[in-house]
Amino acid sequence: MSHYEAPIRKPLVTGNKTYHDVTEDIVRPIEGRANKTWWIVFSIALVAFLWGLGCIIYTISTGIGVWGLNNTIEWAWDITNFVWWVGIGHAGTLISAVLLLFRQRWRMAVNRSAEAMTIFAVVQAGLFPIIHMGRPWLAYWVLPIPNQFGSLWVNFNSPLLWDVFAISTYLSVSLVFWYTGLLPDFAMIRDRAKLPFQKKIYGILSFGWSGRAKDWQRFEEVSLVLAGLATPLVLSVHTIVSFDFATSVVPGWHSTIFPPYFVAGAIFSGFAMVQTLLIIMRKVSNLENYITIDHIELMNKVIIVTGGIVGGAYIIEYFIAWYSGSPYEDYTYLSFGAATGPYWWAFWALIFCNMIAPITLWWKKLRRNIMWTFILSIIINIGMWFERFDIIVLCLSKGRTPSTWAMFSPTFVDVGIFIGTIGFFFVLFLLYSRSFPVIAQAEVKSILKLSGDRYKNMRALHGDDVQLYELPKQKPLPDFNKVITDIETEEVDVTPADGELSQGLIYRLGKATEGVSDDLKKLSGVGPVLEQKLNQIGLYTYNQIVKLTDKDILVLDQLIPQFPKNHARFWTGEANLLKRN
Amino acid sequence: MSSNKKYWKNLEELNANSSVIQEIQTKEFTEDLPSKADIREESQDDDSGTTRRDFLKYVGFSTAAATLAACEGPVIRSIPYVFQPERIVPGVAEYYATTMADGFDFSSVLVKAREGRPIKIEWNDKSKVKAASGARVHASVLSLYDTKRLQNPTIDGADVTWKTFDDAVAKKLETVGDKSIVFLTKTLASPSAYKLVEDFKEKYPNTEHVTYDAVSEHSSLEAFKAMYGVRALPNYDFSKAHAIVSVGADILGDWQGGGFDASYSKSRVPQNGKMSKHIQFESNLTTTGANADTRVLAKPSEQIQLVLEIYKQVTGDRSVSSKLSDNLKQQADKAVKHLKKAGSKAVFVTGINDKSAQYLALAINDALSSQIIDVENYRLIRQGNDDKVTQLVEDMNAGKVGALLNVDVDPAYALSNAEQFIKGLKKVECVVSFAMKKNKTASMSKYVAATPHYLEAWGDVQMTKNDYALVQPTIQKIFNTKQFEDCLLKWSGSDQKYYDYVKANFSNYTGGLSWNIALHDGVFEVKNQNVAMANDDAEVDSSSARQMASMLSRKQMKGGDFELTLYTKIAMGDGKNANNPWLQEFPDPITRNTWDNYITISKKDADNLGLENRVTSKGAIDGDVVNLKLGNTTVTNVPVMVQPGQAPGSLGLALGYGQVEGLQEEMKVGVNAYPLYKEFENFQSVSIEKAEGNHEFASLQLQNTMAGRKDIIIETTLAEYVNKGKEEWNPTPVFSKDHVEYPFDSPKVDLWQEFDRSIGHHFNLSIDLNSCTGCGACIIACHSENNVPVVGKAEVRNNRNMHWLRIDRYYSAGDTFQEEKERYETDGTLDHHRSVEVESFDNPQVAFQPVMCQHCNHAPCETVCPVGAIGHGRQGQNQMTYNRCIGTRYCGNNCPYKVRRFNWFRYNKNDEFDYYMNNDLGRMVLNPDVTVRSRGVMEKCSMCIQMTQKSILDAKREGRPVKDDEFQTACTNACDSGALVFGDKNDKSSLVYEKLNDDRKFYLLGYLGVEPNVFYQTKITNTEEV
Repeated sequence: MSHYEAPIRKPLVTGNKTYHDVTEDIVRPIEGRANKTWWIVFSIALVAFLWGLGCIIYTISTGIGVWGLNNTIEWAWDITNFVWWVGIGHAGTLISAVLLLFRQRWRMAVNRSAEAMTIFAVVQAGLFPIIHMGRPWLAYWVLPIPNQFGSLWVNFNSPLLWDVFAISTYLSVSLVFWYTGLLPDFAMIRDRAKLPFQKKIYGILSFGWSGRAKDWQRFEEVSLVLAGLATPLVLSVHTIVSFDFATSVVPGWHSTIFPPYFVAGAIFSGFAMVQTLLIIMRKVSNLENYITIDHIELMNKVIIVTGGIVGGAYIIEYFIAWYSGSPYEDYTYLSFGAATGPYWWAFWALIFCNMIAPITLWWKKLRRNIMWTFILSIIINIGMWFERFDIIVLCLSKGRTPSTWAMFSPTFVDVGIFIGTIGFFFVLFLLYSRSFPVIAQAEVKSILKLSGDRYKNMRALHGDDVQLYELPKQKPLPDFNKVITDIETEEVDVTPADGELSQGLIYRLGKATEGVSDDLKKLSGVGPVLEQKLNQIGLYTYNQIVKLTDKDILVLDQLIPQFPKNHARFWTGEANLLKRN
Repeated sequence: MSSNKKYWKNLEELNANSSVIQEIQTKEFTEDLPSKADIREESQDDDSGTTRRDFLKYVGFSTAAATLAACEGPVIRSIPYVFQPERIVPGVAEYYATTMADGFDFSSVLVKAREGRPIKIEWNDKSKVKAASGARVHASVLSLYDTKRLQNPTIDGADVTWKTFDDAVAKKLETVGDKSIVFLTKTLASPSAYKLVEDFKEKYPNTEHVTYDAVSEHSSLEAFKAMYGVRALPNYDFSKAHAIVSVGADILGDWQGGGFDASYSKSRVPQNGKMSKHIQFESNLTTTGANADTRVLAKPSEQIQLVLEIYKQVTGDRSVSSKLSDNLKQQADKAVKHLKKAGSKAVFVTGINDKSAQYLALAINDALSSQIIDVENYRLIRQGNDDKVTQLVEDMNAGKVGALLNVDVDPAYALSNAEQFIKGLKKVECVVSFAMKKNKTASMSKYVAATPHYLEAWGDVQMTKNDYALVQPTIQKIFNTKQFEDCLLKWSGSDQKYYDYVKANFSNYTGGLSWNIALHDGVFEVKNQNVAMANDDAEVDSSSARQMASMLSRKQMKGGDFELTLYTKIAMGDGKNANNPWLQEFPDPITRNTWDNYITISKKDADNLGLENRVTSKGAIDGDVVNLKLGNTTVTNVPVMVQPGQAPGSLGLALGYGQVEGLQEEMKVGVNAYPLYKEFENFQSVSIEKAEGNHEFASLQLQNTMAGRKDIIIETTLAEYVNKGKEEWNPTPVFSKDHVEYPFDSPKVDLWQEFDRSIGHHFNLSIDLNSCTGCGACIIACHSENNVPVVGKAEVRNNRNMHWLRIDRYYSAGDTFQEEKERYETDGTLDHHRSVEVESFDNPQVAFQPVMCQHCNHAPCETVCPVGAIGHGRQGQNQMTYNRCIGTRYCGNNCPYKVRRFNWFRYNKNDEFDYYMNNDLGRMVLNPDVTVRSRGVMEKCSMCIQMTQKSILDAKREGRPVKDDEFQTACTNACDSGALVFGDKNDKSSLVYEKLNDDRKFYLLGYLGVEPNVFYQTKITNTEEV
């Protein structure tokens, strides 16, 4: 199979990555230790989760009355949150299944986390239908299981029952799909693990993956079958969730446009959440070379399309409500009544966040602006929350009999449970990001020769038919323990000061000044800070870097705190290439 | 027979002096036991003195104790019948006829008792007289099970036995000497009690009997006496009326005793194209005004002039002059024309508490020779004499009163000059209070006699001249109580029981009626008795009428900026029911507020004073507070309710609230308006000033208009109804399918597959919006029958009331509902929201609509329940299976009528909801046929399936078809105006079948096609002009 890809296509993996680099980059968060930021964020998430858990326990022990619901508005934050989380859970399956079938290779960098997000979001979503019940301890009654009451059976007419099936199917298929993809990656971690405990755990998790051709063949087959199964689910789940509203007689809910519009909205919000999470993750875990600006732009394009569908649906909803001439449609969530009524702020929040703000993505500059994408992804998720809030609360608040018109105001428990699920979601995601390979490295490797910039550059230099596997051989890695011991002995003997060390280094590598500096940031693992530190030592050019020996790297490790030793080993090669450019 | 054999273990034992044996005998164990010291060696810390044997003892005892403790379960004391009482069958209700007569409410009732517990009150159909609000009568059973009731007689606050109490009071009465003994009673209206007091006077000639009504009809009584010679109230039969003109008379409220709603409603239903014309002049918006065809705003001072003007025009007495604005003059002219046109079928009534005004009203009716007013069979249910009460307070302060016996009255709370009364009370040596609760007067009395509830007492009541009723107990006295009459007998030195006294007296004045039959029926009639007759053919003395007119014209409303009308609420009456949670949570029919009283003020005045009502973020209403000033009296922090239809310049405030003594904490709501009730005048001139603070209202309804919607209440005018076809004023909703319009109930446009519903019973309920006055008796009856919980003010404010049946009240956005609908059609899309959403504050049209579960045959709630907890009965009911419900509340959202009620909390046995379901006593009122719902389940109207099922089973047992009138629900039973009709629509002879085929029939939100089993009858207003 040829690894040809048109040069005009942007590389999907940048940073001159080799196969080994990919492995190293992806296992780093798993094998390394968590930094302070991770612990701070994790603690906040955990506290939020525990607070939410307390609120749930309070609700279940006291009664749903601790929420702000009333006789007229019998659903509010609970089902809003439910639909919101289910919607967020939509991007994962779309990315992993639909894009797989469409052979979109860029999915490989984002699918793992998107799927993880899906599962964690569906877990949050699944909480709400249970805790919102008046008697949650009887929640199992919604399952069609034989019971002591004889012929007592569930009501298959009820959309809520369809939800039970839809959500549980979705969760299980997503989980299996996700896990299948994880097997080769777990095996990779297993093979690298040094501690027996980790080896054991990852051995169990990888289901004895051996990496034989048969394994890979089955893996591909299962992925394809699961993708085929999951694809209809992308459409079905939110269609069924929309039936909760569309099949009712509540003005504003009873709308035939709901199924397609809900699916589009779900993908819209799902991709927004993927953006939120991945923009943070690529920064924190140094994955900028895998989740590139092009990935972000591609996802923004999905947001433009689905956002457009959603916006169009809003306009149609508004128009039809007005065109019907029915007074009962005067106060639906998209109506003049809603725009000027007591919930005007919720109406306009929806319009701004979901219709106006996403328009900015039509500009390429903003579409490729990471900060704006991040802000917008949060705006969209707020907007999508308001969409569900508006549908539920606004439509219910002004129903058919004006005498029962009412309003809703959340209690601290409503808010607490919502925050709790956000906390729970992040607890899961943060744990995931430190124990699971967050990028499907096996898949990324499969496209490395095709779309990696290292190979694209080589092809550009040497022609398309170059044997890309004939690469300059690397020196074997030094025995770290030995070298470090050497230095320690040296230290004991000589105790050279930092200045002496750096002077020796420059002596070996040659002097350079700021005037002739190269962009050291292009080296893997070098950011502006590290570049500055290297400059302070006197390292400015690729010519100096090319001469770096393993011993020099250990010296640099001494001089620079948190020096990326693992990266530095590849600098020589990288600098060589860069020099030639 | 002991044996002399001796057993031995070794030879040494045979040697009695053996030291070894002696030593062994003193020791239990031959070998040394391990001592504490030995154990200590192993564990140095152990310094407890516990040996192994002790340890075993402790273990044994504690195990045994724990075992014993575990055996003891919760003890629920129930006392079985030692002898099965005759006729009482467990599970079958008994009905007893008795009479409620608490001095304010007088009504013959049937009491439903289960296993000896009265659980519900129903109307006694045999009774012709009612002077009460249906809601209060139906709720009175709960007062029986009130935890705040006095349980023993007390002297100085300490419980004593009745013997001690009687002896102490009797002894005290003997020492009174020259000073007078005063009975200060409510209106007893009881021939036997009156006779008893007379008997008592024989022993104590210095006895005086003063009747005191907290809310007085003194002026009406005096006016009637001046004209007809008897101190009584005229009776009215509005059912025959063609024209009703009322100046400030709340004839559907407590005006002159109340209870006129049933007869009023009958005249309001169009029959043969005719219905009565009702013109109401008033300042507060009352249910009467809401039901009137024409409602004219008139301040109290204008009402006085209106009476003069109408008197002038009806009688043609030129000497009378009146000062009226042009508009009012015009309206008065119209009213007079209607009166004159209807002639003897017309009636004029007024609510002005003034002898001369009442006298003129009688004179007007006399001039019209009205057949509506009945002066022969006059009402005796109000006897309060304000002059005597005022005199009494003076006498008390002058030290002339030696003993004061308060009987079921609370003047210390309800007198406008209560401070003076209290001051006087201290000068009275012997103060005895007969009371059910430790009210303010009782708490100031040395002797407090605990009285029974009327369901535990004996008595007789003379409602009108001819109509009598008997009171009989329906339960053994719950507490150690004794009724006033029994005490009186005792103190008079008689050993007779009051029961015997009543029975004996009964034969005196009835002249041979059967006691048993009278007791069974609860009511009886005595004609041609030897009681002072009303001077019915008395010619109205024109000179005295003229004198009255000039007295009236001199009456002025001065001293303040606003003219206040004091009124009583349907729920609270004069305040006796303040500890009854059903009534506290009962919404005012007009404002729909619960748990409160407040100033009603017109929008214009509110704007001028900067007063407003606000809607909070959760949709509840908040309001400003004001201070009311009348002379030296100030009532502070009175909440303000901006009231549509309130006459500018006038205010309204309900009496009966703001009590503190003898009430549970939760019930201490509202402000006491009695201090403003100076000289028992319901019109007062007050000044008002804004005060600091915010009041939280608990209202059941926030949106007051129908927002231009046509399918909520269909209403039309009499002329349209008579002259035009049904399709013009009550069009059938249609659906278009393939460009053909089908009626909404056509199978062509039905999603559902219909099955045959013509077999067996199929229940339908008809609600006539013309007969419904909004009185709310049905709401309380529903509570009582179906164990509906009370949730308290805070939860009502959260819009979580549990009422299965509500009565929606709509104000029109324009002057009429017609105008509102037109505005919706004509105003642009961007304007019509505002123009139909906000009610007209000037004088809107008002409509009432009772809404309960509509029992849809194609119910939206049934399909959405995931566990199938809602089913549809073969007889048409939409049935909630509580124990299958898991509480998803989807049904509640999908109900277009919003009649489903969710149990947000556990409302029984929960200290957070400390109402009647939280104590053993209160729970005695629960209907054993209806489940008390647990938390987390949905509940709603069941169409009283327990009642219909009983009717079916009774008929089945007796082998006969069910009669039409046997099918009832709690609400239809409680509705004596005939607005609610329930029955089997498969029975072609039934009344409900007739109603179903009436042209006026319509379905609420009929276009939805949910096929409700509840339907309404179009509201028709008589806009006819003369």
